[in-house]
Amino acid sequence: MAAVATCGGDAGSVGSAVATASKSNVTSFQRRGPRASGTNDSSPRLVSITGTRPSVRNGQLLVSTGLPALDQLLGGGLAVGTVLLIEEDKYNIYSSLLFKYFLAEGIVSGHTLLVASANEDPANILQELPAPLLDDNCKKEFDEDVYNHKTPESNIKMKIAWRYQLLPKMEIRPVSSSRFGHYYDTSKRIPQELIEASKWHGFFLPEKISSTLKVEPCSLTYGYIKLLQFIQNIIYEEGFDGSNPQKKQKNILRIGIQNLGSPLWGDDICCTENGDSSHSLTKFLYVLRGLLRTSLSACIITMPTHLIQNKAVIAHVTNLSDIVVGLESFIGSERETNPLYKDYHGLIHIRQIPRLNNLVCDESDVKDLGFKLKRKLFTIEVDSTSL
Amino acid sequence: MLDSLLALGGLVLLRDSVEWEGRSLLKALVKKSALCGEQVHILGCEVSEEEFREGFDSQINNRLVYHDFFRDPLNWSKTGEALPGGPLGALRAMCKRTDLGPVTIALDSLSWLLLHLPCTTLCQTLHAVSHQDSCPGDGSPVGKVHVLGLLHEELHGPGPMGALSSLAQTEVTLGGTVGQASARILCRRPRQRPTDQTQWFSILPDFSLDLQEGPSIESQPHSDPHISPVDPTAHLTFNLHLSRKEREARDSLTLPFQFSSEKQEALLRPRPSQATSHIFYEPDAYDDLDQEDPDDDLDI
Repeated sequence: MAAVATCGGDAGSVGSAVATASKSNVTSFQRRGPRASGTNDSSPRLVSITGTRPSVRNGQLLVSTGLPALDQLLGGGLAVGTVLLIEEDKYNIYSSLLFKYFLAEGIVSGHTLLVASANEDPANILQELPAPLLDDNCKKEFDEDVYNHKTPESNIKMKIAWRYQLLPKMEIRPVSSSRFGHYYDTSKRIPQELIEASKWHGFFLPEKISSTLKVEPCSLTYGYIKLLQFIQNIIYEEGFDGSNPQKKQKNILRIGIQNLGSPLWGDDICCTENGDSSHSLTKFLYVLRGLLRTSLSACIITMPTHLIQNKAVIAHVTNLSDIVVGLESFIGSERETNPLYKDYHGLIHIRQIPRLNNLVCDESDVKDLGFKLKRKLFTIEVDSTSL
Repeated sequence: MLDSLLALGGLVLLRDSVEWEGRSLLKALVKKSALCGEQVHILGCEVSEEEFREGFDSQINNRLVYHDFFRDPLNWSKTGEALPGGPLGALRAMCKRTDLGPVTIALDSLSWLLLHLPCTTLCQTLHAVSHQDSCPGDGSPVGKVHVLGLLHEELHGPGPMGALSSLAQTEVTLGGTVGQASARILCRRPRQRPTDQTQWFSILPDFSLDLQEGPSIESQPHSDPHISPVDPTAHLTFNLHLSRKEREARDSLTLPFQFSSEKQEALLRPRPSQATSHIFYEPDAYDDLDQEDPDDDLDI
């Protein structure tokens, strides 16, 4: 498991830790007096990477998925070194939205991105990411959404009988990189300067494969082999696995793979039940997990499982992934007109949560969750009809 | 809706069956594109060229570019006329076209291609062909590409059908009642909800499209009259609503830690002696006035 050094063992990491702490003011506790010189400092310093936090349960390093509601359901966030698999809904509307939230969170937190797709150019995907809501706008957006539903007579400011009303309001600095989990406005696009300031690598399959290439049959589909090599190169060259000792700050690599398993990747798992490359997808996931576990990276994969013909493969894929979230949208189904489900656009099923360095996993008690795409927000709520 | 099918671009699947054939609709759409001035390519694999061109007048026939793969699909006669690479090579050649302007490619039929080519290769090629307009490499605007594929849905299993449906921008399923053909059009715009409409139509002998209103459907009684929602605040033992007077009283209530100016002055003003309350105390016989030894057990 990718571990974060908690106490400075050698001078090199202490030096980088001091540089980290002094560069980004991640806490509001200010040290009084002159700071002790870095080389003689014997107090343990936490090497903190922006956009991550340790889990409150077992200290596992977590990154946000981009949706604070989903983070809460998954036990705090996505653990570094794991795979989040999203089973796509039928028309791939909401799963691509979750994919974009994950990437947008990476840009806002300053992580490096790796976007792989077989049907869309990664540059186009990045252009369509939602815009982040900064702190001072955030509350306004929420109030706007909430007040739309309230009746006018209840629109009264709540009178607080406690002393807190007299306290001066705390100024929260709008430093977005020090927070964990941000809110996004899906009706606006991410500003261009944020994309340009971020570091990203794109993998677009039609560019990597020339159409006249004669591919000899092997155990892994050619597209998967190229993708794994690409990911491995990036991890090695940029030092996410610690192979090149990083003098600069440690960072997380966020990998996003879109529509894995669709025929556009060259995999016929969606076309036939027993095809030639029936084990290709499972082998890919196995190798990918090995790459992730030995590096500081987190991966999101969307997969059209509703197209996979062989149901046993879905079970294998679920076992080979860490977190599996299934989306079921009501579009086109009879539930769309059902008055029970009129508040929601679909259901979310948390199919699997991993047990990482643990005997128990962080399952939430609530199993029935519905989601709704409001005008600007994607919200996940407990399905009230099931209570 | 059916006539604006070609406005969107991308892959259009025409799913037909034995009862409702789709080739006439395909020919009607081809005729429409030709009349609009688009360049039309036909990949003919299932029927002969003469049969396909039958019913079109000469003006349209001159605009059609026909690639014949029916007569000699595997190029055994080696006349050199057939394109190298078969239908797949022809499709790939269309990916790399250099002339601008909108193009319509009609595949007759996609089922034939699915049965003769591996599904993944076909999907990848179709995707490359239908998405040319979205990636202008040299900056010049490339016209829209419409790919019309005729698919016989009874020939294929759910796997290939699902795979092609997920690729297609529009799916037209043919059906109907006795004497009237209908088309169920499912339109998937990227990132928007898919729209689903049914359009009744008929094809005239010269392959022009005639849109019609559907046959009169007798109004069906609504099953399950809508149950009025139960009001949960109906029979409660406590009062959830406030009358106006109560609300005014609540609003005018000052809270304990809310300092108004009157309260502040009342606290700061020095207390007048006559306003204070006094405590009158009569010491009892048993009361001990010695404060230092209340239990009276010190032996001093």
